[in-house]
Amino acid sequence: MAALLTAETSDYSQEMVTAPQPAISQEAAWIRRAQRSDSRAFEKLYRMHIDKVYGLCLRMTGNVAEAEDCAQDAFIQAWNKLSKFRGESAFATWLHRIAVNAVLGRMRKSKREQDRIQIASEISPAPASIGDSGNLRDLSDAVDRLPEGARHVFVLSGIYGYSHEEASNLLGIAVGTSKAQLHRARRLLSQQLTEQGFEA
Amino acid sequence: MNNETDDKLMAQAAQLSTEITPERDLWPDIEAAIEAPRRRSSWTPYLAQAAAIVLLVGASSSITYVMTKGGANVSPVIPTMGLDAEFTSFGSSYELGQGFQNARNNLAAQMDLELDRLSPDVRAEVEENLAVIRSAIIEINSALEDEPNNVLLQDLLLKTYREELTVMRKVGGLTQHVMSRNDI
Repeated sequence: MAALLTAETSDYSQEMVTAPQPAISQEAAWIRRAQRSDSRAFEKLYRMHIDKVYGLCLRMTGNVAEAEDCAQDAFIQAWNKLSKFRGESAFATWLHRIAVNAVLGRMRKSKREQDRIQIASEISPAPASIGDSGNLRDLSDAVDRLPEGARHVFVLSGIYGYSHEEASNLLGIAVGTSKAQLHRARRLLSQQLTEQGFEA
Repeated sequence: MNNETDDKLMAQAAQLSTEITPERDLWPDIEAAIEAPRRRSSWTPYLAQAAAIVLLVGASSSITYVMTKGGANVSPVIPTMGLDAEFTSFGSSYELGQGFQNARNNLAAQMDLELDRLSPDVRAEVEENLAVIRSAIIEINSALEDEPNNVLLQDLLLKTYREELTVMRKVGGLTQHVMSRNDI
């Protein structure tokens, strides 16, 4: 397992960093223009990254409405913080961090808010399985049903390939907690999927 | 849960989609949120003007400081920001003279060359200050759209354009005079 995660570690970041050169230079130009308050350039950045940001929000919240709100919050925060972006990391990585914070921020707002989100999730199950099919859809649905802490770690580590160090840093938890939550997530997923006759 | 099942589970997880398209376009709401502060008609003129002046004085002082203190180390740098036509407006009722725009574009082009001679730190400082000035230009222009006849705003905008030219002139080590109101 460790080997698998290690192999996946930072693959996502690397993928973003090693995006095609023309796309990067185009993105850099849009970033510079957006930093000068050009909202049209920022819209280009939005179009380029929304699927990644929304995907992460949807996986983490397990709810469409919440994911939309979190993705919107993330881009609004990105706009407000854009002057501080120095290009030390890939823009997508920087956006990811903001998106994770947006999700966590909403989750932490209040217990009542969490309850509301939970109820909303139950009323309107997230179609996080968009783009997934067959066994993957079952797995996707099972991930949505994980408890919040386990789901967050599993999404970041298992789906997005972040290392425990990166995931724990993003989530503001200890590395040991991240490992424990991932173990818990795997156990719960395995149980759920076994009950459903899932064949990995 | 055995290791084989566990590994297969994680392998499957890695295949789940990381990019999902939202069911609706979220941009209109985002745009409304980020444009709202700019469009606010209830802006407080004196506060906004005072803030802009503070920004300009700070930017100018900072530029003077780094230009007199900063070295001229040669270092490879990326191309600097370009000028957008939208910056050379004067509210919604006036257009800046062609002479002014030409001078501004020339200064910007020469400044780009001179920036290459600055150390990365000094260059970053200069670019950051120019960004502050240009943001102020956008803000003042936006306010002028609401109050096109506000003389204070017009003067402030003129001074801000002038400040931008001064910074570019300092960076470029050029000798052109800063444009006066009569040139516009």
